Amino acid sequence: MLEAKQLQKRFQDKTALDKLNLKVEPGEIYALLGPNGAGKTTTINLFLGFLTPDGGEALVDGISVAADPVAARRKIAYIPEQVALYPRFSGVENLEYFSRLGGGRHSRAELHALLERAGLKSDAAERMVGTYSKGMRQKVGIALALATGAKALLLDEPTSGLDPAASHEFSRLLRQLAGEKVAILMATHDLFRAREDATRVGILLKGRIASEYHRDEFQSRDLEKLYLERLGA
Amino acid sequence: MILTIALKELRDTWRDGRFRIGGTLLVVLLIVSGVLAWQQNERTRAERDAATELDRRNWLEQGEKNSHSAGHYGLYAFKPTAPLAAFDRGVEPYVGSSVFLEAHRRNATSFLPAQDATNMRRFGELTASLSLQILVPLLIVLLAFGALAAERERGTLRQLLSLGVDPVQLVVGKFLGIALALALLLVPLIAVGAWLLSGTGEAGDPNLTRRILFLIGAYGLYLGTFLAIAVAVSARCRTGRGALALLLGLWAFNCVLAPRLATDLVEQWVPTPQLAEFDAAIAADLKKGIDGHDSRDVHLQKFTQETLAKHGKQNVMELPFNFNGLVMLESEKFSSEVYGHHYARMWDQLEAQDRATTLTGALAPMLALRTASMALSGTDLSQHRHFADASERHRMEFMRVLNEDLMKNARPGDHGYRVGRTLWEQLPPFVLAPREWDAVWTSVAAALGILGAWFAGSFLWLYMSARRMRLEVA
Repeated sequence: MLEAKQLQKRFQDKTALDKLNLKVEPGEIYALLGPNGAGKTTTINLFLGFLTPDGGEALVDGISVAADPVAARRKIAYIPEQVALYPRFSGVENLEYFSRLGGGRHSRAELHALLERAGLKSDAAERMVGTYSKGMRQKVGIALALATGAKALLLDEPTSGLDPAASHEFSRLLRQLAGEKVAILMATHDLFRAREDATRVGILLKGRIASEYHRDEFQSRDLEKLYLERLGA
Repeated sequence: MILTIALKELRDTWRDGRFRIGGTLLVVLLIVSGVLAWQQNERTRAERDAATELDRRNWLEQGEKNSHSAGHYGLYAFKPTAPLAAFDRGVEPYVGSSVFLEAHRRNATSFLPAQDATNMRRFGELTASLSLQILVPLLIVLLAFGALAAERERGTLRQLLSLGVDPVQLVVGKFLGIALALALLLVPLIAVGAWLLSGTGEAGDPNLTRRILFLIGAYGLYLGTFLAIAVAVSARCRTGRGALALLLGLWAFNCVLAPRLATDLVEQWVPTPQLAEFDAAIAADLKKGIDGHDSRDVHLQKFTQETLAKHGKQNVMELPFNFNGLVMLESEKFSSEVYGHHYARMWDQLEAQDRATTLTGALAPMLALRTASMALSGTDLSQHRHFADASERHRMEFMRVLNEDLMKNARPGDHGYRVGRTLWEQLPPFVLAPREWDAVWTSVAAALGILGAWFAGSFLWLYMSARRMRLEVA
C-alpha cells in the first residue's frame, strides 16, 4: 500500500533520505523510529507529495506521488502531531468540511457516529474546537480517516503530548483501523506506543533504515535497548 | 470542491468578529453617506429650482428696454444635478453650478459648493463612492490577510492539501467565499441605494440604467482585483502578520498615496492652464475684433465702410436696417469665436489631464476607478464641459435673437427703441440635454479597460501564487 523505492531527498548539502526502501502492507502498523533529523517527517512529506524527491519514488496504492500527488493523497489520511482544525467551527463541522474535501459525503448523523466511534461524544462534537484538548483533536483526525475511507494513514508524532489515557485510547483506534486493512505509517519517538501498537518497527538513521524488527522480535526483547544500541548511545 | 471551500469560507467569515464589526461600520457609513447625499441633493435641487424660477421671473419682468440692453441685463443658466451625483460628487463641488449669460462676455461658472464649505471639506466628503473606493478595500484586507497565511500558521493548509485539495481550487474557493460574504453585505445596500438615488438627478437621463450597471461592473472589477491581490498576498506570505503589513501598505498606496502622486505626476506631464494667462490671451484676441460700444474702434470703422460699400450707401442711417444691431451681431459672433477657441483649448488641456490621470490607473486601480465612477455618475469634467458648452450655445442664441430684433425692428438711429415681455418670452429657459452614451463611453472606456487589465492580472497572480504555494508548505 505504502512503498518507498530508493527514495532520496537532499536539503542543500544535507542528505535527509538516502535511498530509503520501505513497504507498509494493508493492516500493518509500521513505526518509524529515529532521532530528530533522521528523516522521519521528510518521509511523511514525500508520501504526502509536499516535497519532491531527488531520486526514487514514493508510491501509494501503486500511484506515484510525484506523478499524481492529488490521486495519491485521495487514498491517504494524515494526522500530524497536532491535528489542525478551524476554531470557529465545531468538531462535527470540521469533520464535515474536511471529509467533503476528501471525497466523503456523510449526513450529520453519520458524522456524529464516526466521531462517536473515534471516541468523541455528541455534545463535545457540537462544541467549537477552540475548547478542544489535543486528544479530542486527534479523535477528529481519526474520524476523518474513517470518513474518507483512507487506505493508508500517515501519522507524525501522533501521541506526543497526549496524556496516558488519551494515548491509550488513540492506540485502540489505530489498531481498530489496522484491523480494517488500513496501512499505517507512524513516525514517532514514543517507544512505548511503538512496542504496543506496531507490527513492524524501523529505525531510521541518517536517511536510511538502519534496522527493522518484526513484532515478534521486539516483543521478546527490550525495544528501547535495541533502539539505543542502534543509535550507539 | 470550490463550492465547498467557498461556502465554508463564507460561514467562517460570517462568524468572524472582524467581519461583523467592520461590516456593521461599513453598512452604517454607507447608509449615512447615502442619506447625507440624498439630503444634499434635495437641498441643492430646491435651491436651484427656486433660483431658476426667480431668475426667469426677473427676466420676464425686467420691463421694457432696448433689446441689446436686455443682453446686458443677462440671465443665468443653472446646471442640473448629474444623474448619479448622490453616489459620486466627482468634480461638482469644485466647478460651479451656474453661469451668468450676458452680452459680449462668456463667464466662467460660479457658485462653487466648495467655496461655501468649511475647512473640514479638505478632509473629503463622505460619499457612497468614497466608502466603496477606500473602506471596502480596507475591510477586504482585514478579512483576507489570513485567508491562507492563517491556514498555514494553524496547520490546516497541510491538512487540506493532504486531502488532495488542489491549491488553485483552494484559493479560488477562498476568493469566492470572501466575495460572497461581501456581496451579502453590499448587494442589498447597492440595490436599495441604486433604486433610491437613481431618481435624484434632475436631468432625465435615458442611459441611467446603463450607467448604474456599468458602475456596478466597474466597482466589481475594482473590489475583485483588491480581493484577488489580498488572497494572493496571503498565499505568498508565510505569516498572517506579514500579509497584513504588506496589504495595509498596498492599501495605503492605492487609496492615499497614489491619488496625490498621480496629481503631481499629471501636473508635470500636462500642466494646468493658468487663469491669468488664459484671461490675458482672450483679452488680446478680443481687441482684434469689433467693439460695438466704441465708435473710435478701428475695426468698427472698417466694418462700417465695408457694410456701406456692400449696400452702396454713404451713411449708416440710409441702410435698410438698424446698423447698430448688425454691429452687435457681428461683435458677438467674433467674441464668441474667440471665447470658443480659448475655452476649447482650456477644456482640451483639462481633459488631457483627465486622460493622463486615467492612465496612472496602471499604477493603482483606484485612479482608474475614480475616473470611471465620475464619468458614469455624470460628475466628471467632460460632463461639466457639456454644461459649459451648452450654456454658451444658449447665450449665443439668446444674443442672436436680441440683436436680430434690434437690427430688424429698430429704425436706423432710433436710440429710444424699446421692447418688452413678448420678446423676453420668445427666449426659452435653459435646458441641458443629457449626454449621448457614446460621449460617456469615450470618457469611461480607457478606465474600464485598465480596471479589466488589473482584474485579469490579479487573477493571473492569484493562480501563480496558488501554484507556488504548494512548494512552500514544507
